[in-house]
Amino acid sequence: MTKHLIIIILLGVLLAVFVVAMQDVQILYNTALKSYLVEGVIPRGFEETGSRNLVTAILLDYRLFDSLFEAGILLIAVSGIIWISKHDIEEKNAQFMYDKFKTPDLFVTFSRLVYPLMLTFGFYVIINGHLSPGGGFQGGAIVASAILILYYIDHDKETNIKLIVTVEKFLYIAILLFAGISIFTRGTFFTNFIPTHYSYDVQTIYLVILNIMIGFKVALGLWAIFTAFLKEGR
Amino acid sequence: MLFIPVYLIFIPVFTALIIYVFKSKYVNYLALVAQFAMTVLLIMYYNAYGDQPDATLFVFGDWDARVGISLYNDRLSLSFMFLTIFTWWMVLIYTFNFRETNEKNDNFLFFLMFLQGVFLGFLQSNDLFNLFVFLELTTILVTILIAFKKTGDAYRAGIYYELINVSGVLFFLIGIIILYNSFGTINVLAIQQLLEGLPDYVALRMAYIFLMIGASVKAALFPLYTWLPKAHGVAQSGISALLSGLVVKGGLYLFIRINDMFSPANYSYSDFFFVVGGITAGVGVMFALSQKDMKQILAYHTVSQVGIMMMGLSSLPTNDLFYGGLYHVFNHALFKSLLFLGAGVIIQAYRTKKVSDIRGVMKTMPVVSVLMIVGMLSITGAPLFNGFISKTIIKYGIYDQEWKYWILFFVNIGTATSFIKMSQIFFGPKPMTILLSETPQRVSMIIIAFSCVILGTFYIPISTGFFGVDLSYVSPFGLLPLYDYIATLTIGFAFYKLVIEKDVKPVRMIREFKVSFETANYLMVIYVVALVTYFIIL
Amino acid sequence: MDPILTFVVILIGFYGLSTSTNIIKSVFCVTIIESGVILLFLNLGNLDGGSIPIVGEGITMIADPLPQALMITTIVIGSTVTALALMLCIKVFHHYGTVEWAEILRREEGK
Repeated sequence: MTKHLIIIILLGVLLAVFVVAMQDVQILYNTALKSYLVEGVIPRGFEETGSRNLVTAILLDYRLFDSLFEAGILLIAVSGIIWISKHDIEEKNAQFMYDKFKTPDLFVTFSRLVYPLMLTFGFYVIINGHLSPGGGFQGGAIVASAILILYYIDHDKETNIKLIVTVEKFLYIAILLFAGISIFTRGTFFTNFIPTHYSYDVQTIYLVILNIMIGFKVALGLWAIFTAFLKEGR
Repeated sequence: MLFIPVYLIFIPVFTALIIYVFKSKYVNYLALVAQFAMTVLLIMYYNAYGDQPDATLFVFGDWDARVGISLYNDRLSLSFMFLTIFTWWMVLIYTFNFRETNEKNDNFLFFLMFLQGVFLGFLQSNDLFNLFVFLELTTILVTILIAFKKTGDAYRAGIYYELINVSGVLFFLIGIIILYNSFGTINVLAIQQLLEGLPDYVALRMAYIFLMIGASVKAALFPLYTWLPKAHGVAQSGISALLSGLVVKGGLYLFIRINDMFSPANYSYSDFFFVVGGITAGVGVMFALSQKDMKQILAYHTVSQVGIMMMGLSSLPTNDLFYGGLYHVFNHALFKSLLFLGAGVIIQAYRTKKVSDIRGVMKTMPVVSVLMIVGMLSITGAPLFNGFISKTIIKYGIYDQEWKYWILFFVNIGTATSFIKMSQIFFGPKPMTILLSETPQRVSMIIIAFSCVILGTFYIPISTGFFGVDLSYVSPFGLLPLYDYIATLTIGFAFYKLVIEKDVKPVRMIREFKVSFETANYLMVIYVVALVTYFIIL
Repeated sequence: MDPILTFVVILIGFYGLSTSTNIIKSVFCVTIIESGVILLFLNLGNLDGGSIPIVGEGITMIADPLPQALMITTIVIGSTVTALALMLCIKVFHHYGTVEWAEILRREEGK
């Protein structure tokens, strides 16, 4: 009990200091950040990248280097999880659970109804990532959850997890190469390979293709992760 | 030429992917080709830009450096990069079985090579959020590599490592958030310029503290070190060498970088981190003395040596003491990886990790024994070996403050005792059955042992080349250092015979003392509050 | 006020992390901390209450897009961290038959 009390007091100290710090952040924000926002990404973002959605502009152009590793982290986690989940040594406590309960019929019916809608919505979010809220990562997650619903509809669905991961690896290599094209056209790494003097519509080609690639990669990665978990449960 | 940093990050990443996709034993040799190419590129880059760090700023996509992600290299990061590529050479030669291709090898090589790219990126990055991404990537990759053996304790060590590091790195992210909302940029150099001439805000101190916690967790400083012995003790020997030799130094590198970034703010951090380093060193040695598992002993020594490095690095970068700590980072990377690799060979042959069960290594494996002795002489600080140089610089740096000197003295004696205990494995009768290992493992050990001796004898040109400091005042020749060393060894031997060998009750109690996960997090919160108290309230 | 509330969420996560004895709960606590951090950054990124960061006609005041972009990265990283931790947790359970930190330690010594 004293342990809990002490930790609450310690965390209270942290909170108090944070409250004081936040007031300083307000002062600094009003002097430094606001002026930066006014002259920074916000007014220039659309002209420089051709993306109306500034979040996509940052993810796919200004900070593409981060996004590449963000896609890479998913690949690593997928291959790590699949390697770890493999049963090749004896595990005496392993208890394999079977789905004893049938999914309710109502849920199955509605899942069938919702599945195509979700898939379409996911693709819409991926393709329109540069115009409306969304993008490759978000849309990929929606597509992956649509695929997850398939498992509720069909219990015994078998997925070839190896194939998914192989496709994902090739996609990741393709993303890296696609992002690197700009070294030949614009002389620098990881930006839109279409030179800036082209119109916004032409520049959009790059954004759409990269969003689709990232979206598929994320969807495949999440699909592989939950397939590994489902296999562990079966 | 300016793109070499990018190539250095993506060559290993591409190699990893190609090895993983095309499963063939000939493709595996690509790892060595890539390694060779990276060595050549890095040497070219060092020759071109080694002495003009301002020219190395490289922004992806040619954007404004405050918006885009930039890479920046100075002498410090370049020397760390040399160390990285060297360590990876050694670990690749040691661990990888190139003649065989199976799923295990391919997976292992994939994670190993990817980690190299990520680590090189981490060293060069000039963007705080990019640093965060690389830190998380390192955490995930190292977790997978720890759990790679697929035994129960490997899984437990993996999840322990992952959770505690992720929560530490999340503190780092809070620091980034505060800095972004204060300056509107997360570029390290830009923040350094913006900090110039600012009044002392609590928010900035808070950001400094939160960034420091990320670095401390990664570097395994005193209350946060609990993940290290678990993780380094159970991983494969090659991975242990990599983690102890290099990945832990990532935290120290981060420490130097953050202090460099906040240098215009003039926070007086020296005393606090010196004390933390001293306690870390003492606690590490204390636990190492009580352990029986060979790899646990080495892992706890990593904790104590990190403490010694911290004692050096906590001083201002203008002092010689700082360079003592920095030089110790490099020396420790060499001798600790040598010791771990040697321990791996011995454990493989004897099929046990207990120091008391291994006897007669000198007769069965003379080469490995000699190499292990080189490592032990280096870590205990014998003259003519590399550990001596850095320990002497640190000793000179703290000569005028007695209590600091005594901490170092006791840590040295503890280290000597512990390695006298470990050196008992060389003596005794030859056992009946042993499993001899392959030659590549020895090749990498011989190379590391040679570099230990080279760093211990040609330290003057090396230190001027990499750090630009003159170390000619340190001399390993003459009788005084030798007497000093022999005295340390004698006290250590007496201590071993009187206390450790008899396994008295306090030693047993220390061995049985275990920190559970929630207590480790409790200690982390206490550490945060201690930092807050020192930097803000006092 | 909002940033402080989100910081309270982070602190709740740390409270749970330093008191709970179960691996699954620890994983959840890390997730809570992460959500708190994400909320904190999003909150601070839109202190003046602008609309979504999409350039269009008639929109004058928009939120800072950088925090939102960075937080997408954090969410992706967080999900992979959680997935890996949960898989390790399953494996720990298979080996030791329990997900209590202390119990695992006891069973390991008992072997």
